[in-house]
Amino acid sequence: MGTATTIQPERILKDLQQLWAQMAVDQADAGGVLRACAMTLVVVAEDAADAERVRKTVGVLMHNHPSRAVILHPGSNGAELDARIFAECWKPFGKTQQICSEGIEITAGQHGFAEVAKFLVPLRVPDLPVVLWCRGSAALEPGPLEPLFPLADKIVFDSSQVTDADSALQFLRRLRARGSRVADLHWTGLTGWREVLAHLFDDQALQPGEVKGAQVTFGGSSVTTGARYFAAWIRSALPAARVIMESADAPRGLHSVKLSTSDDSLTITLGSDHCVEVLGCGRHYRSMLPASSEEALMQEELGILGPDPVYEKALSA
Amino acid sequence: MTEVRNPFADPLRFERRVPECAIVIFGAAGDLAKRKLLPALYRLAYDRRLPASFAIVGNSRTPMSDEDYRERMREAVKQFSEDGDFDEELWKRFAANLHYVAGDVKDPQLYLALKEKVTATGQANILFYLSTQPSYYTVIVDGIGHSHMAAAPAGAWRRLIVEKPFGHDLGSAKELNSRIHAVFREEDTYRIDHYLGKETVQNILALRFGNGIFEPLWNRRYINHVQITAAESIGVEGRGGYYQEAGALRDMIQNHLLQVMATVAMEPSAVFEPNAVRDERAKLLRSIKIMRPDEVDQYAVAGQYKGFRQEPGVNPDAQTDTYAAGTFFVDNWRWAGVPFFIRSGKKLPRRVTDIAIQFNQAPLALFAKAPGAGDGEQKARPNLLILRIQPEEGISLLFLSKEPGSGMRLRPVSMDFNYGTSFGERSPSAYETLLVDAMVGDATLYTRQDMVEASWTVIQPILENWNNRRFDFPNYDPGTWGPAEADTMIAKFSRQWRNS
Repeated sequence: MGTATTIQPERILKDLQQLWAQMAVDQADAGGVLRACAMTLVVVAEDAADAERVRKTVGVLMHNHPSRAVILHPGSNGAELDARIFAECWKPFGKTQQICSEGIEITAGQHGFAEVAKFLVPLRVPDLPVVLWCRGSAALEPGPLEPLFPLADKIVFDSSQVTDADSALQFLRRLRARGSRVADLHWTGLTGWREVLAHLFDDQALQPGEVKGAQVTFGGSSVTTGARYFAAWIRSALPAARVIMESADAPRGLHSVKLSTSDDSLTITLGSDHCVEVLGCGRHYRSMLPASSEEALMQEELGILGPDPVYEKALSA
Repeated sequence: MTEVRNPFADPLRFERRVPECAIVIFGAAGDLAKRKLLPALYRLAYDRRLPASFAIVGNSRTPMSDEDYRERMREAVKQFSEDGDFDEELWKRFAANLHYVAGDVKDPQLYLALKEKVTATGQANILFYLSTQPSYYTVIVDGIGHSHMAAAPAGAWRRLIVEKPFGHDLGSAKELNSRIHAVFREEDTYRIDHYLGKETVQNILALRFGNGIFEPLWNRRYINHVQITAAESIGVEGRGGYYQEAGALRDMIQNHLLQVMATVAMEPSAVFEPNAVRDERAKLLRSIKIMRPDEVDQYAVAGQYKGFRQEPGVNPDAQTDTYAAGTFFVDNWRWAGVPFFIRSGKKLPRRVTDIAIQFNQAPLALFAKAPGAGDGEQKARPNLLILRIQPEEGISLLFLSKEPGSGMRLRPVSMDFNYGTSFGERSPSAYETLLVDAMVGDATLYTRQDMVEASWTVIQPILENWNNRRFDFPNYDPGTWGPAEADTMIAKFSRQWRNS
């Protein structure tokens, strides 16, 4: 569903209105369509194929976070700016009425990309937050995405996509220092691990004061941002504990976390079937990690539009 | 003991932690357990909300093994799960935590057997759930007390969930509370009113106190009256024996609808904490004007549908109210003079529960004689804010809008917010919400002793009047909106029911 158009924001908005009017007519017998919008979600895709994947992801995200989606991606061989509109509709379980959210897909060539920011201003939904999701590593390079950052209330990045953890963290810290609210899907993917560890203290398997040291073990040849985040998070929670990071012969990512007291230790180790195993201090059980698909991680981030003090502390540590 | 804050807490991202515990359900083979409790617990497991280690110990009189009970509950969960999500693998893991002890609640040996079973599960915390006939409540609480099951070791807890009705009048409610308190502290007693667990009822608080635009209008200056309706299209459906002792006033108005009214009308609490919110609800209930005996006929109406007395298990001469309506006033500065009309009945035209807040009309019908207004006079129509609780949870605001075209012809339009469709995410059922709350020790949505007693106090004059008179029942046809006297009652206040 969509019509080709050039980049004229007023024209795009008018086309969107016509799209809604047409959908209302088409769905009149089924109770019409319900339009919902909680934010503008701007996604910078890596290329046309990635934009296609993004559309599917956005379709899932819309269920919980109905938005106006703006998907940007570079065009091939220096094409000029181009835009098309689309709608994502779904029918909730057991309901007859469809819910729809609207979308704009913008293709921009090398030069056109620099122009995109000024078109985005009128295309934002007024009075609602703007979330900018930068995919791939293009955001790390100074250049075309810079003008987009000030437009966003929150910028989402995924440092697991880059090999250089230092530059990823520096990039996020720089944005944060400028006053932008930032998120890293690599951090989001640690929520399950963090929750398991936090529960040990809820259940009083361990007392914060008795932990003397922590060892964060990661797989892969270089330290990931995930391991750094985890270590920083433990350091900020247990300032008196000595926290070290070690590599292991294991797949890339967090492998295990060991907490030691003066006479005992407890280890959380990644197991099979997306579970972690908790062993030590009188505990031995497996706990399932939550889904770590891109959709699931974005769902979590889109649910947090205000300050995220725990992440900000881990990022700045 | 000072509670040590968890330095790893991240409330923005972590679900509330449900502690490891055993849930002991009395009446575990009954309708409520099958239709609501087990499906809710299974769904919590599906959503990974239950702890890694937990136990459910069911009790009823029917002799059966753990395996038999698991099989029976498996069928119930499959049949009554609202979303139809049934995962065999998950069920196997869930069912491994299901246990059963057969026995009569009057038999002291039962409690020793339950104690042994719970001990074998290794759980230190116990949540008792009374899902039996109300007449057994005190027997069970006494049994728990005598067996010392209510005594928690250091660091553990014991809690009790009690299903309504909490007594059948003010005296019996006080007696029940006193018997419960002999074994459980008030802070460990969770009186469940599943209406308060519904998303829309909770959303009333969000709507009122999370937004800036409603609260300034939420008072006698702008609100003309409030109608609370809980209508069922079905009859007693085999529950005639129970229902004829209860009636609509006791079954619905005394608990669910007065709690809903309290939520609509309460003052904002200083903080969103269980006792602060409940204090405000209780304060509102205590502010409801108590009817004088001579006012009851004017302010309350009883009805009974044709055919009720022919229902199985119903006395052919029953005086039961299958319909009840009342007019209530709140004696405080915010609400003085604003009537709250509450009605509930069976065999009404459709199943609907909603709260309609009718605002005062615009002071002037400005467009009545505008060009193109049409032949009839265009009266100013009052705005209505409708909070829908069931079947479709949501909120609607009715206002006037200009019809397209020339001239100034106005027509009412509805701006709808539908809970189920505006958020694609599934809303938890009331029982899921309330069970988690009880396990984590959050009593915000549970009813406190003083709230129960205050609502019985409101109802008591009506009960006494109705108990001492003989109604000319039946007085309404199935499929109608109740007896004509209810229309007369509201007409006395120059209002009319929203029968749409």
